[in-house]
Amino acid sequence: MPAPNPIDPQQVVDAKYSERKPRPGVTTKRAICATCDIACSVVTEVKDGRVVRVRSSDNPIFRDNICMKGIVAPKNFANPNRILKPLKRVGERGSGQWEEVSWDDAIADIGTRLKAIIAEHGPEAWSVSTSQWNTATDHGLGRRLMNHVGSPNWTSGVALCAGNTAAINRFTYGWYPMGDFQNTKCIVLMGHNPRRHSWTPMYNWIRQAQANGAKLIVTDPRRSSSAERADIWLPLKVGSDAAMMLGWLKVIIDEELYDKAFVEDWTVGFEELKQRVNEYPLERVAKLTGCEPDMIAKAARMYATQGPAIIAWTPITDMQRNSTSAIRLQSILRSICGYVDVPGGEHLQGFNPDIVNESAIEMHEVLSDEQKAKQLGSDKHPAFTYRGQERFRGPTKKVWGQEYANLVMGCHMTPPSSLFRAMAGEGPYPVKAFFFLGNNPIMSYANMKLIIKAIMNQDLVVAHEQFMTPSAQLADYVLPADSWLERPWMMDGFGWTSTVRTSEKSMEPPGECRSTFEFWKLLASALDRPEVVPWESIEDFYDYRLEKLGVTWEEFVATTDVHFKTPEFRKYLKTGFATPSGKVELKSSALEELGFDPLPYFREDPPTDPEYPLKLFTGVREDGFFQTGHRHIEEMRKRHPEPEAFVSPGTAKELKLEEGEWVEVANELAKISIRVAIKDAMPDGLVRIPHGWWKPEMKQGVGHLSGALKYADAQLCRDDEDFLDLEQGIPHLKGVPCRINKVSQDELKTETVVEEVEYTL
Amino acid sequence: MTAHEREIRKRERTARMMAYLAGKSAKNRSLSDRICRFLVNRATAVKPEDDFMRDLLIDNDMGFEPDELDRFQRGETS
Repeated sequence: MPAPNPIDPQQVVDAKYSERKPRPGVTTKRAICATCDIACSVVTEVKDGRVVRVRSSDNPIFRDNICMKGIVAPKNFANPNRILKPLKRVGERGSGQWEEVSWDDAIADIGTRLKAIIAEHGPEAWSVSTSQWNTATDHGLGRRLMNHVGSPNWTSGVALCAGNTAAINRFTYGWYPMGDFQNTKCIVLMGHNPRRHSWTPMYNWIRQAQANGAKLIVTDPRRSSSAERADIWLPLKVGSDAAMMLGWLKVIIDEELYDKAFVEDWTVGFEELKQRVNEYPLERVAKLTGCEPDMIAKAARMYATQGPAIIAWTPITDMQRNSTSAIRLQSILRSICGYVDVPGGEHLQGFNPDIVNESAIEMHEVLSDEQKAKQLGSDKHPAFTYRGQERFRGPTKKVWGQEYANLVMGCHMTPPSSLFRAMAGEGPYPVKAFFFLGNNPIMSYANMKLIIKAIMNQDLVVAHEQFMTPSAQLADYVLPADSWLERPWMMDGFGWTSTVRTSEKSMEPPGECRSTFEFWKLLASALDRPEVVPWESIEDFYDYRLEKLGVTWEEFVATTDVHFKTPEFRKYLKTGFATPSGKVELKSSALEELGFDPLPYFREDPPTDPEYPLKLFTGVREDGFFQTGHRHIEEMRKRHPEPEAFVSPGTAKELKLEEGEWVEVANELAKISIRVAIKDAMPDGLVRIPHGWWKPEMKQGVGHLSGALKYADAQLCRDDEDFLDLEQGIPHLKGVPCRINKVSQDELKTETVVEEVEYTL
Repeated sequence: MTAHEREIRKRERTARMMAYLAGKSAKNRSLSDRICRFLVNRATAVKPEDDFMRDLLIDNDMGFEPDELDRFQRGETS
């Protein structure tokens, strides 16, 4: 790892590009990096049975898709603090007292205790928080086992990041489209900022598209690196994305810039939409967004006339009070401008017909309607629950060939806040067993205090993890997890795209680390349901999934980087759309039936509390980290040694803040410690809080949680009704009122101080 | 057929051709596959020097040595 740190900008400018060949004695494997959720195709170099290097793929369509988190992976997974054997709690929960046990003993005890909980409280008392794409080899097997056992209470970080986008997109045109970056003429980034080390493939696609003449429109309160390279940058107020899009629609409809033939033939609700949009004249939109009316109009015209255009997926609209409307507005803009399912626009890909897809593996049809109806949160916030997605079963079968399409795993989830309230004893029924895999739940959702209370109220808590995260510290069992270097993977585009890619196993897992496939297989047997996961190995399982292609996994992975069908466009001409009407629903019949406004709207912020005059946004990580992970990697921590709150020079001056000064950021829920970083790119009054900070070197256990109680942004994230999206129940993370408190620097300036933060449940 | 329809069909044909080339290129086994890879490479390459966020951490990375990782895993080095 010879790269200098920090980087000398002049060296970057002077550097020459050259291909490097593997070193002598090194063999290579084609793999897919699962360090984050982007799944870059890479090459691993293996020597003496270890992966010693990770580099980008030799395949030109995956060129340069590599970031610093990927290349440091060999050292990441060789960390001496990695969990290598199953651990059983022996003291009080969170006391940090563990004993090593065998997998057999651990799984037998877990099975016995889980069966007892199910017998006493019903199967819905068992909940799971994970994400197939973080654990990679789950492939829906967790849902499959839960469906057979009878629990609907599965949640995931995708509830507020991409999974919910997929579910809400279905309300408009029945699937979640993927932007065709290779052929597009215009790209819209809404607050999203793909970079060299974050969303790297999208960063590369955008560079390539711009080199080919595509326009770039960025809406972002910050002057991000993408904003600096945009043709139009709209510095909107944080959280006002839906209002901005209503303004764009006003321009596009008033000036008749939409695709009239498509709207006439393939949409329903245009007149009602037009009436709703008329409630948002540009003067009102300008007030709501803080942007000039002529710039709003200019951007709208560029989007509508310089196409085919794409509105790239963005986490920003997944995490706000108006999330459902904002995601729907993106869908509506795509639709009325004629960009749906056309080259250069937004491609509705469907399932890959050559493999058994993960939605089918999950077997949602075996979960009874009675149990589905028990899914927590589906009464108040149903959009991505079984109840909310019910109306798409028939149309999805007609258009895409099967009733359940769990796109990005996000279409049949339990809203996290509803789940944690029930786990804490504040729900309609008890939830007493909680499993989390590749997931650090106390820091991954809003209202960390509630989640800790929820976990402490459980009878059984099981973690499948690589490292002792703050959440794992509260578990009864911590089972050692393998990594993407140590297992094969058949990656099916998360059910979102129809592309299938392969990843070879590069090395043996250390110690007793096992995959999620093995975890679910063992648990199925322990629950007396071995037939639910009948395959002997993950390779056998992949053989089953590939039967239609007539090849084994071994043959497939040896010969295939990527498998896809020749793309088809405008498939709706033959099948219609997978919505109740068969058309693009500008006015959503499904939302109307669920009792919500069927048209998009903008819900303004609650009145400002003078105690909290600033606004914060969170959800953004430093480039060296993904979510709450990677804080144990020395190279990454050198780049990002401490959590930093970004503020503008104006805000810093007003509050008399200095660069590097430790402060508290506080709101009604909590306060966190953080260092000030003054950034020209930030607007006045806005504070950027990084997501997911804790320090593995700090004291573990209840009252400490390795610094999570001192630094974690999840403590500031509210989940009261004013700060939840109405339809989904996901939290508003883009514009939470806060203040900055000056604190004594003597207490806080050291980097590795072990805090004795008291925590009372 | 309208001009708009003709334009869309042309773009669809082009997109299908690009996907075909990318698929062949990914296989990279036969001579025609390798020709496709050459064409895809030429069509998609953006000069590394034009990468405005270029990072020597990536460019200069030479990985690790097995014994370096072994020692690290045993806690002998940081």
